[in-house]
Amino acid sequence: MNALLGRVASERDRAAFALLFNHFAPRVKAYLLRLGAAPSLADDLAQEALLNLWRKAHLFDPAKASAATWLFTIARNLRIDAIRREKRPELDPEDFLPEAETPADDGLARADDQTRLRKALKELPADQIEVVQLSFFADKPHSQIAHELGIPLGTVKSRLRLAMARLKHALGEGE
Amino acid sequence: MIRHHPDETLLLAYAGGAADEALSLIVAAHMAFCETCRARVRKLETIGGSLLEDLRPVALSDDALDAALAKLDKMLPEKPAPRRAYGASARAGATIKNGTPDVLRPYIGGDLRDARWRRMGPNLSYLPLFRRGPVTARLLRGVPGAATGMHRHAGEEYTLVLRGGFRDVTGDYGPGDLQMMEGDMRHNPVADTSEDCINLAVTTGALKFEDWPHKIVAPLFGF
Repeated sequence: MNALLGRVASERDRAAFALLFNHFAPRVKAYLLRLGAAPSLADDLAQEALLNLWRKAHLFDPAKASAATWLFTIARNLRIDAIRREKRPELDPEDFLPEAETPADDGLARADDQTRLRKALKELPADQIEVVQLSFFADKPHSQIAHELGIPLGTVKSRLRLAMARLKHALGEGE
Repeated sequence: MIRHHPDETLLLAYAGGAADEALSLIVAAHMAFCETCRARVRKLETIGGSLLEDLRPVALSDDALDAALAKLDKMLPEKPAPRRAYGASARAGATIKNGTPDVLRPYIGGDLRDARWRRMGPNLSYLPLFRRGPVTARLLRGVPGAATGMHRHAGEEYTLVLRGGFRDVTGDYGPGDLQMMEGDMRHNPVADTSEDCINLAVTTGALKFEDWPHKIVAPLFGF
């Protein structure tokens, strides 16, 4: 996928775009449906996300993110705009700000590490993956997640921290 | 050097998109100061990428791809920008001008020098940015040495130092440092004596002051 995105960036390759579209648009649609978008809006926004990817492909850096991660951030921002009707305060991606180097930086974005991350996510205990998923797929603050699960806020946060520790461990960060 | 960072669960709420606008604002403003948290958020976003990859795809309408391809033709061909190596053109502090992170500018209507402060007693002033339900975002400014007054919180209180600094029982805070206080924690932040202290503050509930003047006055100002 990263290679396809590279071809979109450097050659405006429409065939590569079509392959990216067929892979990601249905996943972005699924993401938007999870967050409560009506099917027709989910279609529109999924298309918009992929068009964004075409327009902004020159900003993509495969050394720093996978295509899936980048598309997730595009879809996330589109749905906050369109569904929540709020702005998302964000640093300007064109500023290319420096980031701290950590042991995981040269690792996490690589394809094999994305694979390991997906495996580690699947191996999380049910109560941990639940709160991680809700952090990404429910447009709710942790306090409301706690309320709906009938557990204290502190428990939500400690489950999240345990999950983060496991994910980092799986990626060899050893924390 | 940043000493106080957002809790990892707050970074996760920001990366995942669950954080509301006020919390997103204070996290993004912190990230303008903090390259460590920029890297952390990017890492947390890879979890979003992994979850997205593993979602069961839902087909779009049959003509969706053709419609998208047709739109490509209509879009202005963006010139393939010269690839910039990540960080190669990084301008240190590019997102902070005159002590004002870029993400804050639309809310202030300019930078800190343009802020139209409202006085609240001799030592403190404030500028409301916005309120959504119980969540309020505002700037606070204290003259050197100003004390806020001992208080607890009905909800959570997040404070990001933009300029100057303050000190309370939990530690010393300077530009870029983010403090989080929860309901039962009490504190009386005191501004450093060298210059005015300017903070971005997000509260999810009212402040509960302990001394009588503040108890009466604070609610009048919406605190």
